[in-house]
Amino acid sequence: MGIYFRKRKRPRPIGVSEKTSPPDGNHNSADNTSESLLLSTDIEENLQYLQAIFENCSDVVYREFLLAQQEQIKLALIYTDGLTDKSQVSEQIMRALALEMSMATDSTEITRANALHYVKMRGLCIHQIQESQRLEDVVDAVLSGDTVLLVDGHATALINGNRGWESRSIEDSKTEIVVRGPRESFVETLRTNTSMLRRKIKNPNLKIETLQLGQVTKTDIAVAYIKGIVNEGLVSEVKKRLGRINIDGVLESGYIEELIKDNPMSVFPTISHTDRPDRVAANLLEGRVAILVDGTPVALTAPYLFIEAIQTPEDYYEQSFFASGVRVLRIASLFLALTLPSLYVAIISFHQEMLPTPLLLSIAAQREAVPFPVFVEAFIMEVAFEIIRETGIRLPRPVGQAVSIVAALIIGEAAVQAGLVAGATIIVVALTAMASFTVYYSGSIALRLLRFPLMFLAAFLGLFGLISGLIIMVVHLASLRSFGVPYLAPVAPIITEDLKDSAVRAPWWAMDKRPHLIGQNNPRREAPGLKPHPPRERKR
Amino acid sequence: MIKKIICFLLICALVLPLEGCWSRRELNELAIVLAAGVDSAPNNKILLTVQIARPSAFGGGGGGQKMAAAQENNVWVISQTGESVFDAQRYLEAKVSRELYWGHTVILVFGEQLARNGIRKAINYFSRSPNTRETIWVLVTRGKAADVLNSHSQLETTSAQSIGNMARAGVGVPVMLKDLSIMLASKGTNPVLPRIELTPSGKPQGPGMQENIPEARGSQQQATLTHAEPTTTGTGVFKDDRLVGWLDMSETRGLLWLKDKMEKGEITIPSPRESGKNISINIIRGNTSVEPFYDGQNVWFDVRMQMDGALLEQQSTEDLTDPRIFASIEKELNRRIEEKARSALEKAQLTYEVDIFGFGEAFHRKYKKEWAVLKDRWNEVFAGADVNIAVQARIRRTGLTTNRISKER
Amino acid sequence: MLEKGKIGGRQAVYLNVTMIVATALLGAPALMAAQARQDAWLSSLLATLLGIPLALLTVKLSSLYPGKTLIEYLEEIIGRWPGKVLGLLYLFYFIHITSIMIREYGGFLVDALMPQTPLIVFNITVVAISAYTIKLGLEVLARAHQFFFPWIVFSLALTFLLATPQVDLTRLLPVFESGAVPILKGSLTPTAWHGEIIAFAMIIPFLAKPDQARSIALYSIGYVGVIFFFLVIGSLATFGPGIASMNYPVLNEIRLISITKIIDRMEPFIVAIWVTGGLMKVAFFYYVIVLGSAQWLKLRDYRPLALPLGAILVALSIAVAENTMQTFDFIAHVWPLYALTAFEMGFPVVLLAIALARKKGESALD
Repeated sequence: MGIYFRKRKRPRPIGVSEKTSPPDGNHNSADNTSESLLLSTDIEENLQYLQAIFENCSDVVYREFLLAQQEQIKLALIYTDGLTDKSQVSEQIMRALALEMSMATDSTEITRANALHYVKMRGLCIHQIQESQRLEDVVDAVLSGDTVLLVDGHATALINGNRGWESRSIEDSKTEIVVRGPRESFVETLRTNTSMLRRKIKNPNLKIETLQLGQVTKTDIAVAYIKGIVNEGLVSEVKKRLGRINIDGVLESGYIEELIKDNPMSVFPTISHTDRPDRVAANLLEGRVAILVDGTPVALTAPYLFIEAIQTPEDYYEQSFFASGVRVLRIASLFLALTLPSLYVAIISFHQEMLPTPLLLSIAAQREAVPFPVFVEAFIMEVAFEIIRETGIRLPRPVGQAVSIVAALIIGEAAVQAGLVAGATIIVVALTAMASFTVYYSGSIALRLLRFPLMFLAAFLGLFGLISGLIIMVVHLASLRSFGVPYLAPVAPIITEDLKDSAVRAPWWAMDKRPHLIGQNNPRREAPGLKPHPPRERKR
Repeated sequence: MIKKIICFLLICALVLPLEGCWSRRELNELAIVLAAGVDSAPNNKILLTVQIARPSAFGGGGGGQKMAAAQENNVWVISQTGESVFDAQRYLEAKVSRELYWGHTVILVFGEQLARNGIRKAINYFSRSPNTRETIWVLVTRGKAADVLNSHSQLETTSAQSIGNMARAGVGVPVMLKDLSIMLASKGTNPVLPRIELTPSGKPQGPGMQENIPEARGSQQQATLTHAEPTTTGTGVFKDDRLVGWLDMSETRGLLWLKDKMEKGEITIPSPRESGKNISINIIRGNTSVEPFYDGQNVWFDVRMQMDGALLEQQSTEDLTDPRIFASIEKELNRRIEEKARSALEKAQLTYEVDIFGFGEAFHRKYKKEWAVLKDRWNEVFAGADVNIAVQARIRRTGLTTNRISKER
Repeated sequence: MLEKGKIGGRQAVYLNVTMIVATALLGAPALMAAQARQDAWLSSLLATLLGIPLALLTVKLSSLYPGKTLIEYLEEIIGRWPGKVLGLLYLFYFIHITSIMIREYGGFLVDALMPQTPLIVFNITVVAISAYTIKLGLEVLARAHQFFFPWIVFSLALTFLLATPQVDLTRLLPVFESGAVPILKGSLTPTAWHGEIIAFAMIIPFLAKPDQARSIALYSIGYVGVIFFFLVIGSLATFGPGIASMNYPVLNEIRLISITKIIDRMEPFIVAIWVTGGLMKVAFFYYVIVLGSAQWLKLRDYRPLALPLGAILVALSIAVAENTMQTFDFIAHVWPLYALTAFEMGFPVVLLAIALARKKGESALD
């Protein structure tokens, strides 16, 4: 967590220093006027310049030294401490230039004029070197973790790509857990993330376009898609929407999600997010577009349809019958998570005749001592549960265990014992809570929110209120689109072909088409007739 | 947008105070009526008795089920006179602190006197009000309905549920409110209702289980030391909406046969070879078809009954593998079934002169023109009609043994 | 074009079916049985047969003026001002039957679910939700409806299946007891219901494939016929001709459902699902009214009309009848005659005749 934080905050000082020290007065914004600013041939002047820009940036390191053969040629290294691979800086740059170059050079004389060329071609043992004359590039490079080498007498900086910072290693996905399937999840480094994608899809058609967002943070954003499968219109729409973002900082993909959503006033997510590379790869293969953001392990994919709330990557790895069964279970859970408390309120306070007589008597007995109306009771318990859930997430891990036991005891046992809450209410709340975890997390956030207005409606108009709420919700869902695709597809509008991957998950040999509205550019994903069968007997 | 949200919140805020005034009924503000009884009272009034569940006596609430729920009286039985059922209910609410809730009423019992005067005036509230259900079991009792309600069940939590379960299991001739309405509406049949009575059944199992059974109701209204369990003891026969008489349990079986409602039951016949010993057969399936005939003057009916049964008890020792013996048992069975049907038929035709079997319906289906003429005096026509009964009983199984095992020495 | 959305063929069939069945299913068996007694199921079949020509009439008219709604082509057929007058009459007709529908719907909810709640609460809720829906356009209406439709059909099928233990088909006998006239009388109201397909003429131009209109209409009538038939058979065979005196026989049928002790007392569930159907029906007619009014007034957008017309509908739905009995009496005796003679059959026939004559004249001139 600490590393993560430091890295995100690192570029911040730019915005601050700009105000305090404009080197020549017109350097007031990070990306505009400096484009005309070029390096000078005088290394001292350049260094002064940079020192002015990086004033009070204690983590920027300047290292001046002399070239091995030509002692009068001065070199300077500028890099950010902690963002570069320090061993590379000392071994491959400083050692190579200050010591070893003397042994390696042939008879050609190194002059001030050809020093840059020699340094680049013969001296540096760095795999990726860029040249730039622009001051802005130098600043960017330093802040991104590259090492900048200035050579006296040249107005060109060599930007060595030897970024290397402390970063989290690739670990198991924490939010989407599977039993069968790849474990790895994205990390905070964009390059690592794209490399994970590339490792899954070894195809030049996997395009990863990068751009920078955030005037202050300069966050790298990658837009990934598979050319030939994706709908070109979708890519340009995504790029267009990204292009109109003008914000000081992008610290997480959530910033982008809210800025490019189709329906900003909806509680339902129309862009999916995941930290699983396999999920992103699967989405790309279906014709979707992924947006990866540097500094967060969470990638966005779009378009996102409602049906995806009940789909998990594991469905596609586990055998199809089991996966279909689990899907049905998830649909039921989704329904329960959304409506169970309101159904309970509606039945207990309006439609008692729906309960079988013995159950009614038993609930009546439980409720006899409860001082609140059932709506208030259920509402309090739901809120209490949300508090416990929030506590569970925020609490320091060692404390969490203890607190959850206390919460379970107090809310579960003591409240019932004291006659403050009916046992049935506890069961309802607990079941609702469990059910809400079975569906896709972002989807369940919407359900969590909507549960309360539905409870209110149910307390107000009984089942009719509940149904009214559901109708409004469905009408709203029907009006949503995610990047042009109707949100409720393939159910409404019905797309028969896509129902294979909805409440059931057909075997892979049957799902030979990509989702119709997303992959229509290249509908077929496998050859027809792949259903395995025993070899046909030959007729004699 | 902000304006819209404010408007919405305002509407919600305005609506909030109204909440709770409407159809909302909190569970602990309801008096759950499990059974209702209607008796006639002086001055053409009716006496409404209700059995209300007392949830606090069911345990729960304080955590953990109280096992000896029967110790405490878990129902409250209370009566009230009124001009009509609804009127009496209204008066009741002056005594009962909660709103009477009819959605879970299991049984409706008519007292004998009211039934003899006609049940129409008591039944309408129950079939019209959306609160009560058409699936209420309707019964009639000898004596007062209030006494039947004032009882306990040893097995079920309340006597109402006990009676309901019996009716659901098909003891006697179970009648739902909707069946009663259909029977009352039809000219081709007359209603029957099962008769429920309290019969002494051993010692009370706890202090709350003592009842006033009619036999014990002598000088003082005091609880006796006999437990009385509600029991189905026969059938009440109605002419239109008036009770005219009773059928006992055996005749009730005949009634079920003739109404084609025989679903399960048992028939005991004397052994064909050994006198004084009996054979009992369990009825697996019973089927009756009634065909009316009319030649312009006389009406007669051909009734064909079929039965599949399983021999489950044999006191005698005859060899069941012998086809001749088997045939004679089946023949005896035929005779026995016909006898039961005849006994019910005779009661209906001769004693009460009402068609309680739905023969009129059958006639209506076949002779729709003639029906228009006969329907208003159908009971007379029925009383004079000949009925031919043909029974074909088959024993399909003999349980787990063929002959008595004890016979083989 | 006022409406930019397009709806698919299947969506249109679903809309049509709900548009006819949703509120009719409540009282239909009783209304038919009141005339035809145990032959009510014959009435229902007859009504479906009579419904077919009505559907064909509607589609034929629209096919002569492709891309135009009923309100628009009226002016083309009989000229501007007469067309305006007739268009207004049609709008009044739609407003009238919609307000009756809302009334019926609210009344049903009061009777079946919430006896203590004032009628107006339901009426306002229904109209408000419908208004929200139609503001989002026809496409959203069709899509949301498509989402619910399977549930509505499923609930009806479930009702029918679960009620079978109570069913006794001999209650349908004797057949044809009362003769042809009562059967015909009994079929009048259901025929008028089938005739509500005239509202389909308002959305034909927005079909993705307008040439499917004919088969859509026929399929709709077919499905409606099947649903009606099973509803009538189900409640008749459960209660016999006594259903004539029931307000909502199908509700009573559901109340009887009791499979063991578990599947028992489930009518609020089923009612709740019907509520969805009824609401969609109201929303559909409301949409037709709003769109029609906008076209009649030649507005560029129909959305501003939604709320004012909604207010009118709520007010009318309260004022249109004093009580449930009046509502049913009107539906049983008055409405079929005026609907069939004028708006559902009379006018369309005359219009078709004029339109055909005109077309003939035009082609003769060419």
